[in-house]
Parts: sequence; C-alpha cells; structure tokens
Amino acid sequence: MKMRKILCLILALVMVASMAACGSDSKQPADSEAASGESAAPSGDEGSASADLSSIKVGAIVNVVKGDGGWCQAQYEGLTTAMKNLGMDVDSQLIFLENIAEEQSSVQAAVDQLVNEGCNIIFGASTGYAPILSELAPSYPDVKFAQAGDKVDNIVGYQIRDYEAMFLCGYTMGLLSDSDQMGYSAGMSEASVRRGINAFALGAKAARENATVQVMWANSWYDIAAETECANTLINMGIKYIGINASSPAIPEACQAAGVYCTGYHMDIKERAPKSVVTSFIWNWAPIMEDIITKCAEGTLSTDDYYFWGSDKDCAKIAPINTDIVSDQTVIDKVAEMQDKITKGEYQVFAGELKDNKGNVLVNEGEVMSDQDILSQMFLVENVIGEW
Amino acid sequence: MKFGFEKRDRMPGYMRILNPVIFVILALAFCGILILTLGFNPLSVYTKMLKSAFGTGRGLSQSILYSIPLMLCGLAVSVAFKMNLNNIGAEGQYAIGAFAATAIVQFLPPMPVCIQLPVMFLVAIIAGAIWGGIAVLPKAFWDVNETIVTLMLNYVALLVLDYVCYGPWRNTTLTVPYTDTFPESAWLPNIPGTNIGIGFLIAIVVAIVIYLFFRFTTSGYQISVIRNSISAAKYAGINIKKNIIIVMLISGALAGMAGFVQVCGLTHKLQPNLPNNAGFTAIVIAYLSKFNPLVVILVSIFFGGLTTGSYAVQISGVPSQVATLIQGAILLFVLAGEIFTRYKFSFSHKEKMVSANKGGEA
Repeated sequence: MKMRKILCLILALVMVASMAACGSDSKQPADSEAASGESAAPSGDEGSASADLSSIKVGAIVNVVKGDGGWCQAQYEGLTTAMKNLGMDVDSQLIFLENIAEEQSSVQAAVDQLVNEGCNIIFGASTGYAPILSELAPSYPDVKFAQAGDKVDNIVGYQIRDYEAMFLCGYTMGLLSDSDQMGYSAGMSEASVRRGINAFALGAKAARENATVQVMWANSWYDIAAETECANTLINMGIKYIGINASSPAIPEACQAAGVYCTGYHMDIKERAPKSVVTSFIWNWAPIMEDIITKCAEGTLSTDDYYFWGSDKDCAKIAPINTDIVSDQTVIDKVAEMQDKITKGEYQVFAGELKDNKGNVLVNEGEVMSDQDILSQMFLVENVIGEW
Repeated sequence: MKFGFEKRDRMPGYMRILNPVIFVILALAFCGILILTLGFNPLSVYTKMLKSAFGTGRGLSQSILYSIPLMLCGLAVSVAFKMNLNNIGAEGQYAIGAFAATAIVQFLPPMPVCIQLPVMFLVAIIAGAIWGGIAVLPKAFWDVNETIVTLMLNYVALLVLDYVCYGPWRNTTLTVPYTDTFPESAWLPNIPGTNIGIGFLIAIVVAIVIYLFFRFTTSGYQISVIRNSISAAKYAGINIKKNIIIVMLISGALAGMAGFVQVCGLTHKLQPNLPNNAGFTAIVIAYLSKFNPLVVILVSIFFGGLTTGSYAVQISGVPSQVATLIQGAILLFVLAGEIFTRYKFSFSHKEKMVSANKGGEA
C-alpha cells in the first residue's frame, strides 16, 4: 500500500520532468537569444586601433590562491609583472578572484561578477576552466577570454613550452648523476605532467646515453603523505637524482632528509631544501600576458590565437643552478650552452628518431613532433620506466 | 549561585524565526570586527555582498543556479535525518546519479528528447537509490553504522567519476578530464526567459511533495514516530526495517536527482569532483532548516547567495579567505544559537539543570 504511494510519487515526478522537458523545448532558441541580448557588458574601446591601456580592466580566476607557492602564484606574478611592464596600475586595474572551483556554476558566477566590474579581458588561469569558459564566452561578446592550457573554441589559449626548461632540468641532473638510474615523482597523469616527465627523461638521456627515469605517481595534485611516499620509494631504490612535479614541499624535504638531489617545479624552490634543490623549472607568464593585454587594448586579439611560447621569449626558464651543490663550473657551462641552443632553436627536444616506452615510433628520423602531439603527450618516451 | 541551561517547553513561534536571524546578525558583527581590522568598512562589504547576490536580476539568478543541487541534496539529507538516519553520503549519491545519467549518453544512441530525459532521470535516481541502498541494507538487517558506510561510499563514488573522466569517457581533444558534451536532446531546458534551469522547478515540486508526504500520509507519520522513539514505534507495530530502507532509498534517489539536474541542466558533461561538496553543505542546510523541506529551498538559495556574494567581497579587495570565513561564521553562530530554541538561561533551579553540552545536538 505504502509502496504503491511512493511509486506513484516517483512516477508523478517523472511526468513533471518529462513534461517540463518537452513543453519548453520549442522555446529554447528564443531563450538563448534573450540571454545573449541582455548580457551586453560594459566594455572599453573595443575595436579602436590605439592601445589605450588605462581603460583596460583585467580579470582573472584561479582555483586555489595567489600565494599557493605553485601554479597560481606563477599566474599571479605573470599578470602583475606584465601589467607593471605595461605601466598599468595593478591595484585598480586587476581583479584576481581566488578559490573558484573548476565547476560550471562557480565559474559562471565569478565571470559574471568580473564582467559587471567592467573587465575587458578575463584570464581563466587554471586549466580546468577551458570547456566551461568556451561555452560561456559567446554570451559576453564584448569581453575577451584567455585560457591557460588547452585551445578551445571562442577563447584565446596560452601555454608555455615548459618542456624546454624541463629538458634542461633533466640534462643538469644527468650531468651530475653518477648512475644511469634517475627518478621522477609526478602528480596526476595530465598532459603537462607527462610532458614534464618526457622532457626530463630526454634531457637526462642527452647527458647520459643510457639514462632511465623511474616514474612514481602520487595521483594527487597536493598530497604531502603520498608525495613523501613516492620520494622515499625512489630513494629506497637507490636513486639519487629526482625530478618532481608537485606543489607541496614534501618531496624536496624528503630528499634533503635522505641526502639526495631534486629539481623544483613551478618556481624557484631552493629555499625549501637548500641542500637538495639543484635548480627549478619556472613558469614565466609575463611576456605572454603582456602581449594578450596589449592586443586586447588594441582590439587586435583574435579568439583563434594560441600562444605557445618557450625559452626564445623567456617564458620557460630554469632557476640559477645551486652552486652550494654544483661546484663544477663545467656543468653550469654545459647547461648554459644547451639552453642557448634550445633558445635559438638549434636543438629540438621532441625530435626524431623518438620512440615511446612500448616500442612505437613517435617521430621519424629527421622530423620534429607537431605542436599538437607535444600538447597532448599521449605517450611516455623510451627511457621512462612506468605507465601513465 | 549556579547558572546554566534549563529546558524550555516550547519556544514561541516568532522567536523560532527571530532566533536564527539574530545569530546571523551576530555572526556578521563578529566578522565585521575582523574586516575592520583588515582595514575595510564592513558595512560597505556586506552591502556589496548582499547586492551582488540578491540585489540584481543576474545576481539572484546566479544564486539560484548555484543552489539547485544544494536544494536536492539538502532535501535528500533532511528526509533521512528526519528519522535519525544519518545519510552523510549525499555527495556520493549525487556523483553516482550524474555518472548513471552520463552512462545513458555514452552507451545508448541519441533518443528523442521526450524519451531521453525521462530515461536519464529515472536511471539517475535509481542509481542514487542503489548507492544509498548499499549503505542501508546492512543497517536494516545487522545494525551496521550507516554514518560510516555512507561517508566512505562518497569516496568510492568520487573515484568512479575520476576513473571514467580520466579514462574511458574522456574527451581526448582536451588535456583536462571532461567527457564529451552531451547531445542537445539530453539538455534540460531553462525556465523560459531566465538562465535558471528547470531543475529549480523540479526541486520545488519535490520539496512540496515531501512536505505533503510527511504531513498527510501514514508513512510520513510513521517516520516521525520512529524518529521520536524507536520503542514507541515498535510498540505501535510499525515495521522499522522497511521504513529505514524506504527512507534511505528515497534519500539516495533525491541526491541522484541532483546529479541528473546538474549534468543535464547545467554542465552538459561529466567531470571529476562534480558535486563540489554540495553533499556535505547539504548536511548543514538540512540542520539549519530543521528538516523542513520548504525551508530547505530557502536556506539553499541563501547559501547560493553566500557563494555568489563572496566573489563580490573578493572584488572589493578583501582576501578570499574572509568570504569563506563569513560563511563559516554564519553556520557556526546559527547552529550554536539553536540551543536557545530548546533551552534558556537559568540561574537557580538546580533540579532542572542540564549541562550545556547535552543541549548542543547540532
């Protein structure tokens, strides 16, 4: 009896849902028209040829905080440096929203606020915003959007050729190492992370012909326990030179405690473990952001643009090599020489012949990998030990 | 002279409404002091927050948009809590609901909208109910603690989302883990003339149905008897096992419905961590609304507004942590204030005295 009532309730709900779905189906186009019509936002001198930066307002959203000691901090510093270089006033011209979850309703509400505040360009500074901003952008026709990571429809994309600097990290470690076996402690299996592993391994190989890189996955972006566990596993295998992709201070600290060496990621992390950190990979977003903001002010920014800048524009950098650890000047000189070659385009990181660690040929002899494959990184190179 | 808390018979009706309001104001005053020490004017911060969350049409619709999954999860949790069944698993049931709805898109060919949406809806609520059922069967038959089981199942469900989004269902054109966008036949329409999904209406209808169910049906009455006293319920011949199972299935189904509403109404794709803590916030919402389904709707909108408004707080230069602090303080103050609905200060009646910590049920 009671069961029947409940069944009735559920059926009634289904009816309501299906009626709602079918009933308003025909009105859908009208809705979206109305929505895009009312969303006309205050904007600057869109389309004017002169670059009047004083009227530009920059908005940005990140999923953590600007002082996270990692990705978001690099984005924030890139934006503020770019704006200062352009003579803009950071206090009044930048709105930087933190803790915006990579989830539709949060992003939508945050973007709405930024547009209401008169932002002309909005930076989606965490990679997970890409598909959401791509769908939101058309309803704000007067505002430009730029997205870190993927190139998606309707918005400008930007990414750094991080592999050029990660290659140098691996190269440095390869030069220092007295063994062929090296390690890498990685976060989640995401394209940029795999790119870091592959570049590190290729760098190590360039320094030592038979170098291998053992990968350990923490399966988290920030997990002190798991990262410590990864580092200790590598250390217990007798590995002394470790590359990392992690934001927490766990791995450098574990390395310092065990007396082994590591490279840093995101920013110069020498301070966290001065006896262990040899050098660090540094994101330098400022040149890209400077260009995006300028073009936005000029009105020449196109939503088809994709910025994929590297060490030639000073975007992919490594920190000065820690001379407390590296006393041999020839190592420092060799790294500088390699950096120079990469910057000038004389040395390509992902050049053939290149195989993955399952034996498939990725790039033929004499060829260079396409940017698309470099971005998607659906492989681990030959001398990486591990799965993805 | 001692002083402590004395149980009060019944709080006057106006006080029951006034009480949370007073404590919200106290919480704002508390945060105001902090904002002042940071060098900002708390009044202008609050005005901006309120205005951006509820003062404009767009703000209000954003707040409602944000609150829709909170409403359904809040309803799910309060239905269970109403008979002292601790469903901490709305987060996981939500995730599984979303997963199941997406599975229809992934595995079956596109159907006409009038079939596709009801099928996805049904599958989502059944999946949510099953996920709740896994926790409740051991509870009903062997008295296994449902709090722990539902809590742990959250993580299992979230890992299922992780797995399919990073693995088999991944949109390979993106480096971030999202599934492909659903075909438009699987999109839940908006309420005409707004950008609020039809899910809002679904939530309201569900709330009214639950309200009527508890008010006017025998089952609803039996559930409130079980809540107040299991032995009384047994004595009255109420089948407790059956009621536990039914309530948990309904609860799970409602949370699963949140998953359906969110993937079909808003995101149109699946992503890891889709619930974004809605299932946990729902627990707080359920307590604040005292398990009254109609109040759940209002409190959810208030929470949506807090989130929308918190961005406005950040824009005025206040650190983002303060916005979170305001939300936390309001919760803590209102929950702490709950004690005055059942107890009052007393100074001397020793025999009636009860200790304060027994009163803090919430």
